[in-house]
Amino acid sequence: MIFKVASVDSLVIYFGNEISKEIAQDVQKAYLSLRSLNIEGLIEIIPSYTTIYISYDIFKYDYLSLVELLKQSINLEYEDNSSKNIINIDVYYGQEVGLDLSDMSTKTKLPIEKIIEIHSQKLYDVYAIGFAPGFGFLASVDKQIAVPRLSSPRKSVPKGSVAIADRQTAVYPQSSPGGWNIIGRTAMELFDKSLEKLSPLSVGDKVKFNAISKEEFLAQGGII
Amino acid sequence: MSLEIINKPILATIQDMGRFSYSNIGVSNSGVMDEYAYLYVNKILGNDFGTNALEISFSNVQFKVNASTQIALTGAKCEFFINNVLMDTWETHNIKKGDILKVGRIIEGTRVYLAVSGGFDIKKEFGSNSTTIKEKLGGIDGDKLKKGDILPFKSSQPTYKKRLHQEYIPKYSDELILRVILCSQEDNFSQEEKDKFFSNSYTITNDFNRMGCKLNGEVIKSDINGIISEGIAFGAIQIPSDGQPIILLKERQTIGGYPKIGTVFSLDCFNLAQAKPNSKIRFTPISIEEAQEKLRAFYHYFR
Repeated sequence: MIFKVASVDSLVIYFGNEISKEIAQDVQKAYLSLRSLNIEGLIEIIPSYTTIYISYDIFKYDYLSLVELLKQSINLEYEDNSSKNIINIDVYYGQEVGLDLSDMSTKTKLPIEKIIEIHSQKLYDVYAIGFAPGFGFLASVDKQIAVPRLSSPRKSVPKGSVAIADRQTAVYPQSSPGGWNIIGRTAMELFDKSLEKLSPLSVGDKVKFNAISKEEFLAQGGII
Repeated sequence: MSLEIINKPILATIQDMGRFSYSNIGVSNSGVMDEYAYLYVNKILGNDFGTNALEISFSNVQFKVNASTQIALTGAKCEFFINNVLMDTWETHNIKKGDILKVGRIIEGTRVYLAVSGGFDIKKEFGSNSTTIKEKLGGIDGDKLKKGDILPFKSSQPTYKKRLHQEYIPKYSDELILRVILCSQEDNFSQEEKDKFFSNSYTITNDFNRMGCKLNGEVIKSDINGIISEGIAFGAIQIPSDGQPIILLKERQTIGGYPKIGTVFSLDCFNLAQAKPNSKIRFTPISIEEAQEKLRAFYHYFR
């Protein structure tokens, strides 16, 4: 663990410098152990691929005193007893919602059906949640269908869009600007203010995408 | 007992200190852009720390008063009228049913804070009244204020007038010096690039909103293209591949992937919040110890 200042009242802990399952597991264990300790004065704890960002109350800690406390508190051997959820997300991969499918087909030299098959076959890990409420960074997409971000982002990506950027995939929980390649759409709410657990996704969960028909998508409340 | 919006404001939102402890699911901190002006508007009204207020950007918001209370305005110097009579800001005013309030032209600075005694009586969302339009959270229906919106408050008795001493009323200038705490990716910038960053002046572009402020000036290069996305702080200075710094502000996204050369000290972000496009910026380093001490003193005064 390497500690670095992020701002007057925040720091970042580095667990490695590449995206890998092992490092993600360390992040996860450190994150869960910190959560379980309920340390007073930690305001935000944001896990990502290789880091944990923490903002803190400067009336309780200065930078060095908090680093000391964290070094003593973080347990990388933490036994994670929480059951890992597999979250199923139904996706309609039709071309009228999969806005970049035909471009991707050209780039990958794969037929659209094959892209869909490859995307919906795998179980993805939730590495981080951010960018927008409920936006989960999922990895890793099969190399064959990994395509880079669009050279110029769209001003508005429709809510529920399922997308790919390099070896990551995600669902846009709300309409927002974005530059990922859109391959389909889901009717599932990824951020619901009325639920106690606001987002169905948590770091450490797994996600499975299921291809559904247009009729099923519409029946689930999907909008085209 | 309320204020009613009777025209169509360009951008006015309800804000407070912000929304905390939901960043891990991607919810922005949001909150007032200029805490200095905001904390003073509550202080002169005798409001509790963190009471909500209106953040008014650009100009021209008109209200009809539906009950007596006390209000105050701070922040940008603006034309403020009660029943067409020009009034001063940074002081309290007693208002009564039937009065018409108007925040007109903004003369110096960019953001005006308007608060009422006891705050507006609005339900909090995830612990905060702060409006984040892109997330549809806070305020009234997660949106900016519109014609016909009603802002309820508890009526209060007229009381003696309070006015902030002139020496505490900020002058908003077109040239700012922002203190920077060097941070996590500092090592990805050579000494030469850091020297460039600290010795040149930058211009604020039109890309300046509640999310961030894009600058234009001497190109800064880091020795990496991007980082693995990580949580980002208020004031973080991202250097994208075009080498033009972006300072991230209250409504920033929670996670980002550009290298950061440092972080603007929060107190100076509050000054930046009142700056306009084309203003000039210079950066100067500050140590974490000194910054923490100054920030403690700042909040200690208002709490």
